[in-house]
Amino acid sequence: MIASLARPGSSPLHRLAAAPKLAGLAITATALFFVDDPRLLATAFALGLTVARSTGAHFAEIGRDLAGAAMALAVLGLADWLLVDGATALAVVLRLGAIALLAHAVTMTTTTAELFEVLERLFGPAERLGLIDAGRAALTLTLAIRFVPLIVEEAQAIREAQAARGLDGSVLALAVPLLVRVIVRSEAVADAIDARGFPPERAATAPPRPPAIRPEIEADTP
Amino acid sequence: MTTRDLGLVALMAAVIVALGAVPAIPLAAGVPITLQSMGVMLAALILGPRRAAAAVSVVIALVALGLPVLAGGRGGLAVFAGPTAGFLFGWVPAAFVTGFLAMVLEATEKSTLVRTAQLTLAAIVGGIVVLYVCGIPWLAFVVEIGLAKAFMASLPFVPGDLAKAIVAAVVTVKVRQAVAIERK
Amino acid sequence: MSDTNPERAGGATGVDPRALAQTIVFSGVTVVRDGRTALDRVSIGFEEARIGIVGLNGSGKSTLLKCIIGLVKPSAGSVSVDGRDAVGEARAIRRATGFLFQDPDNQIVFPVVGEDLGFGLKNHGYSRAETADRVEAALTRLAIRHLASRRIHELSGGEKQLVALAGVLALAPKTVLFDEPTAHLDLKNRNRLRDVLQALPEQAIVVSHDLELVADFPRVVMIEAGRIVRDGPADEVLDHYREANR
Ligand SMILES: Nc1ncnc2c1ncn2[C@@H]1O[C@H](COP(=O)(O)OP(=O)(O)OP(=O)(O)O)[C@@H](O)[C@H]1O
Ligand SMILES: [Mg+2]
Repeated sequence: MIASLARPGSSPLHRLAAAPKLAGLAITATALFFVDDPRLLATAFALGLTVARSTGAHFAEIGRDLAGAAMALAVLGLADWLLVDGATALAVVLRLGAIALLAHAVTMTTTTAELFEVLERLFGPAERLGLIDAGRAALTLTLAIRFVPLIVEEAQAIREAQAARGLDGSVLALAVPLLVRVIVRSEAVADAIDARGFPPERAATAPPRPPAIRPEIEADTP
Repeated sequence: MTTRDLGLVALMAAVIVALGAVPAIPLAAGVPITLQSMGVMLAALILGPRRAAAAVSVVIALVALGLPVLAGGRGGLAVFAGPTAGFLFGWVPAAFVTGFLAMVLEATEKSTLVRTAQLTLAAIVGGIVVLYVCGIPWLAFVVEIGLAKAFMASLPFVPGDLAKAIVAAVVTVKVRQAVAIERK
Repeated sequence: MSDTNPERAGGATGVDPRALAQTIVFSGVTVVRDGRTALDRVSIGFEEARIGIVGLNGSGKSTLLKCIIGLVKPSAGSVSVDGRDAVGEARAIRRATGFLFQDPDNQIVFPVVGEDLGFGLKNHGYSRAETADRVEAALTRLAIRHLASRRIHELSGGEKQLVALAGVLALAPKTVLFDEPTAHLDLKNRNRLRDVLQALPEQAIVVSHDLELVADFPRVVMIEAGRIVRDGPADEVLDHYREANR
């Protein structure tokens, strides 16, 4: 599994449920696009810093996490300053910086499982409209998470094998065998999913179940 | 969607994520390319419009779930409000259009060269034109620089993306020679 | 066949495999895949507690197993399990018939062991409480409770195979189909899997290139190019198989 960006903790933001956090973030971010006053935007930025810091993360950690975003923002600010004017540059940097800090604070304090539940609830209306099957969508996401490490490993193994044969660094030599293996594997995975009874049956139609087999004696540990 | 489709979509999404974790590979000319955006073109050219759009939607959902799935370990909600979010959401229509064009353009009996050229065209129209049409207005809006300047700012990325389109087409032809897979 | 004696194998759990065994019948089954004949007019019945299947690569062993739970549909003929049609009533058959695939990585769909074991149960409509209960029982049965919260990615090949099997056993099937269960295992894990297999009260049909695994089975079937060419006690069939492929 890919490690979530979330960090364990007990800050107020950690304790808040995922849905209000996400709603709050979405509303704040949208609202900030209608604000142009640099003083208000500076306040929002300071607030973003405070909220991010309130999760228990130190400024150094936050800086490390958002280094990429900060770089991009610096480049954009510079471009704005050169192409438009200084005031616009300041507004853009403060606004995007504030949003990035708030968004990062939510990401840091919300586990993937919590976000998953919100996502499933969001699928709900689309499911009732027949646009999407929430069970299938959830399984697809889970499968993707499950198979990333395996495919990364496969990609590395292929690159090592190619390097040993002197084919170092060729995109073709990596992508072609990797994709062929993935396609073949996906068929086996689909068979296994079907064999395990997917898609789920509705409880009403479920027949009586056999009793679970339990060992009478405690099985020996390996 | 059958279970087979579900498996293909999930594993292709995993490939796009995995390609973000593979270090950039230098192309023949020595220009390094990140393989992730090429993964989107590949998914589209191989799977066809609907499954490819589903696969990139899965990747976007994983970003929203706070997983570091984008190239360079980026992920989380901050990405969605960033200046390049348009290019991320643009993956969905880009993959759909690329896959759709691949489906209607490529007929099997033609020579490898002709097929490669057609798939390259599909990847350029979907993976570059459609993607930039989604990405540039968002960039212009968020950074407040206007469409023209946002367009100019995006131009330096075009040569690299053209190279990816060609490579993706060549890879697709070879993959489809090895395994039979219908686009849908 | 001291160790596969059904009484003894079932003894640990008090269940007699002969009571669980289903009757599986192939009638004139032909399977054509990609223009090649994978099974050629196969007619055979299985009702023993232990059945081995041997044959060269590509001879049709996996295809045969997949037909039993309707994953592969015959081009001609039909397969039935306890009187149910494998294609038309696949769901009912899959509830009572587990499948252990050769590569456990393809069978495990959730990133964490405990979550994965619940997948089949959830699909078959078990409640949360029942699911937790049965997952626990399956983990205990295979002595892998310590793996419950581990990530699949961090497990060894042998551990993954046991997790995949636990996911199958959690549903309390009557029959388990094994497709080369030891192919990815080292000697130690292979022996462990053999012990687990021997103690299994469920009916087991085992495809294997590892001939020792099926060597004391009462019945072994040999397939060649999609046809059943030998059917009998293990020693007879295996002798012939070794002789024919020297
Ligand atoms: N998914 C598939 N699509 C098309 N043809 C297939 C597929 N799987 C197997 N076949 C073909 O069916 C035939 C029987 O294959 P099968 O997998 O049943 O053999 P096997 O006895 O299990 O071999 P092995 O020992 O290598 O696992 C082979 O000719 C094979 O090429
Ligand atoms: Mg096989």
